[in-house]
Amino acid sequence: MRGISVQRFFDEKKDEFQLEALTESLASARPITVSDVNRPGLALAGFTGNFLADRIQILGETEMLFLETLEERERIRAIDRLFDHDLPCVIVAKGLEFPSYLVERGTRAGVPILRTPFSTTPFIHQLTEYLERVFAPRTHIHGSLVDVYGVGLLLTGESGIGKSECALDLVERGHRLVADDLVIVTRRRSELTGEASERLRDHMEIRGIGIIDVGRMFGIRAVARRKEISVEVRLKEWAGDVDYDRLGLEEKMTTVLGMKIPVVTIPIIPGKNITVLVEVVAMNHLLRVHGIRPAALLNDSLIHAMKRPEGSGE
Amino acid sequence: MTEQTVLVRNKLGIHVRPAERIAQTANRFVSKIALKNGECRVNAKSILGILALEAGLGTEVTVVADGPDEREASSAVAALFDAGFGEELGET
Repeated sequence: MRGISVQRFFDEKKDEFQLEALTESLASARPITVSDVNRPGLALAGFTGNFLADRIQILGETEMLFLETLEERERIRAIDRLFDHDLPCVIVAKGLEFPSYLVERGTRAGVPILRTPFSTTPFIHQLTEYLERVFAPRTHIHGSLVDVYGVGLLLTGESGIGKSECALDLVERGHRLVADDLVIVTRRRSELTGEASERLRDHMEIRGIGIIDVGRMFGIRAVARRKEISVEVRLKEWAGDVDYDRLGLEEKMTTVLGMKIPVVTIPIIPGKNITVLVEVVAMNHLLRVHGIRPAALLNDSLIHAMKRPEGSGE
Repeated sequence: MTEQTVLVRNKLGIHVRPAERIAQTANRFVSKIALKNGECRVNAKSILGILALEAGLGTEVTVVADGPDEREASSAVAALFDAGFGEELGET
């Protein structure tokens, strides 16, 4: 199972969450492997059935107030109950004061303890969002991702078919490049998001010219960090025996990370302006989102007209 | 489908020049060729993809080829790795 170390979590998020390490060591025997977190109130109170030890444990005001109501011996026993389990990490929220035994026991158990000034509930939301992103299903796709009129278009096709050239042409027409050649796709709930690998961001390889930096060349308007993928546009060398969609009555779908998205196959013929076609794909998608399907509307009106009984025409 | 594991042997790792050589070689074949470094799997015909591997000296890379000329493709790519892309070799 994929997991991240507490040290990595701390390094990545210490500024945003203003994390403070209460234990000297951040080396945890157990990595963080799930995006859910747990408030261990019941475990502190004595019920450890179904205790979710694999999650980050969040101590908020309720837990701390409860610990304060206990006598020293009881408090130690309550904290021990927590650390009897193999925990990845404990985080004290709201910048709360904590019993010194907490850190002592955490150190002994090799469980890092952190503190954030953030209020408990908003902190849990943000933390979960971050962890969901970290643990989201992920794949690499060979293609280019461009934001065209706000629609994320994933251009795919064989090497050398002209994905990058098409993406560059789109950028030149005012659209925004997200990733070229390699798109890292993650799925969170029902949303597919694409982005470039961090190092390659804004770069493209154009055959005959080389590697270019689109951000520097075209400016900030020409690039975007990440984008939801709405439609896959497959560029395919024209083959006479393939039946391309001529009507657009049905939407063809493809599956990426278990999510269905529409796919449009565009035959490539030398001299054809692919960029305009790709823009039309984006606009067509927007119309569909607004419930407008030109082929279906045309067909309905045609069928309606043909139904008129003879002699009743104008 | 053929799979073989190769080692990055040149001192500088897979920087842009080795990436170009790999992509050029891969493009001579019709088979699909992928390179894998851990979770990262990229198309060997794409220079930027290869760079994303960030495969430094000593990295194990798996060459996965699939298609009619997969054997030739796989050994041609592996040969580049073995020769350290014609660059100075490092200690592995």
